[in-house]
Amino acid sequence: MLHSARSLVVVIAGLSWSTLSRVGFGWFVSMVIVIVLGATVLSVISWYNTGYQVVGRELRIHEGLLWRRTRAIPLERLQAVEVVRPLLAQLTGLAELRLEVVGGGKTEAPLAFLSVAEAAALRHRLLALAGRPAAATPTTAAPGAATPDTEGHPGQVAQPGQVAPPAEPPAGRQLHLVRNKDLLVSQLLTPQALLLPFGVAFVAVQFLSEDSWSFIAVASTLTAMAGILLQPVRRVLDDWQFRLARDDDRLRIHNGLLETRVQTVPLHRVQTVGVTWPLLWRFKGWLRLRLEVAGYAAGEPDQRNRPDRLLPVGDLPTGEAIVAEVLPGVVLSALPLSPPPSRARWLNPLSRQVLGAGLTEQVFAVRSGLLTRQLTVVPYARLQSIRVVRGPLQRLLRLATVHVDTAGGAGAAAVDRDVTEAWALAAELSARGHAARRPG
Amino acid sequence: MSGDQPDGPRPTPESVQPGPLEPWPETVRWQSISTDLIWVELLRLAAVVAVISIALGITWAVTGAWPIGVALAAVLLFAVWRAVTIVRAVRAWGYAEREDDLLVRHGLLVRRLSIVPYSRMQFVDVSAGPLERAFDLATVQLHTAAAASDARVPGLRPAEASRLRDRLTALGEDRAEGL
Repeated sequence: MLHSARSLVVVIAGLSWSTLSRVGFGWFVSMVIVIVLGATVLSVISWYNTGYQVVGRELRIHEGLLWRRTRAIPLERLQAVEVVRPLLAQLTGLAELRLEVVGGGKTEAPLAFLSVAEAAALRHRLLALAGRPAAATPTTAAPGAATPDTEGHPGQVAQPGQVAPPAEPPAGRQLHLVRNKDLLVSQLLTPQALLLPFGVAFVAVQFLSEDSWSFIAVASTLTAMAGILLQPVRRVLDDWQFRLARDDDRLRIHNGLLETRVQTVPLHRVQTVGVTWPLLWRFKGWLRLRLEVAGYAAGEPDQRNRPDRLLPVGDLPTGEAIVAEVLPGVVLSALPLSPPPSRARWLNPLSRQVLGAGLTEQVFAVRSGLLTRQLTVVPYARLQSIRVVRGPLQRLLRLATVHVDTAGGAGAAAVDRDVTEAWALAAELSARGHAARRPG
Repeated sequence: MSGDQPDGPRPTPESVQPGPLEPWPETVRWQSISTDLIWVELLRLAAVVAVISIALGITWAVTGAWPIGVALAAVLLFAVWRAVTIVRAVRAWGYAEREDDLLVRHGLLVRRLSIVPYSRMQFVDVSAGPLERAFDLATVQLHTAAAASDARVPGLRPAEASRLRDRLTALGEDRAEGL
């Protein structure tokens, strides 16, 4: 908490830069001191009033001084756990624990900040509780900042597996490590990075020919270019040292340069896996893997912040290996995809050959996209509902689109199938979905 | 006049639906919704059309400009066309309770069929607006964890609505985890 306040102060100081010239140095310093003190006092107070507690199969988080709030999260509903360490926290050896539950407007219950060891231990315990069936789970309590230790069971805490070393080794089996060179090259192969030299050249030519060097024009052009370039740069920073490991039945994803994230996703929480082949990556044979977990999709509108990467860049064998690990029995290159009937070309003149849908033992796979090819894989056990939609043109051509809705992400849609096939597909999907749900 | 009894020899949606006979969705026993919903929808339409046409009429009377008269005619024409589609759309709306899932179909221009397994249900909404209440109707909506799934059944008698709600919740309890 102290550190969020500290970064706030930095922002305040930066913003007040312009006032410095106006009010004079002495006043400015005293203003800053007052703000710093106020923020520090506030954050100390809030820190003392924030705490968490594990009660049975429930995590309770208390916060607030004036408006007290206690949130209880049943751990069966935990979708994913993330340990995030922003730059400041890295310097001071702290970490933030984020929990994902469905239905929360945003990432619920960010526990900021704990020491790294504590965060790792808590994550371990939460995941252990979340994974275990409701049988005898002893009540344990972890005093947060100032929560009185009401129901502590020392024996539980002393279990060997639960005290993770502070260095946080990549537990479990290492699956893949993305080379930073590949990551850099892949982000240079995005439209933004490729078009930037042209943009710069265009602007330079204009300035040289026009001979009118207005400062504002130059500055705004530079700002726009920085904005364009921001996304690839962020991607590089976010996905730096991307490591994927498997630990029991969980995936563990490490990434980040300035802000490191360790995301832990139980395998049965994976809603869909998306494979993307961007146009510019195609000659390298690279692809990107996406992972949809329920809970992320709803609240965070900006794509960047959504920690949904399963593989930022990789070639087909790597992708295949990872997909086989996440969804056992699925062979990425051998999915039985069939294109829609040839009369669908009236609706998709160019992309008909690309479109495809197919069923395997465990998953429903859909392919689309002419330039940026996308493949979406949905395990039967994860499908929420099925919709068959027929627009007027589709009815004219006896076609139908079968949508499969999942809890996270956009689901999958088999576009423009033959009507008879679409009905059969819908029936088959609902039957398989039912069968897949039953044993678990 | 209401479609509460499912196997009555009423004009079932099949007679409304042109085109080829689809394989399995036509073998399911569809329950149609109450035709009173037509009146609700028509009243809603009438209210909107009335407001617009009164406004247009007054403007026409005051200014006497002929384009406004044309606009008024267009609005009235649209209202007539919409009224016809409302009647057909309500007749086309249907739902079916199967062993494991609820089927809902609706739409004329764009035909939609939703298949929602009971076990995926997160919660059920039963709602009734003032107009719906005046005609003794209610709407049941089934929500799953996916935002995209639409399983809304309007125009149900309150008794049928609560029966459906209870059945859905009872069947949904089989499995606690809806994800």
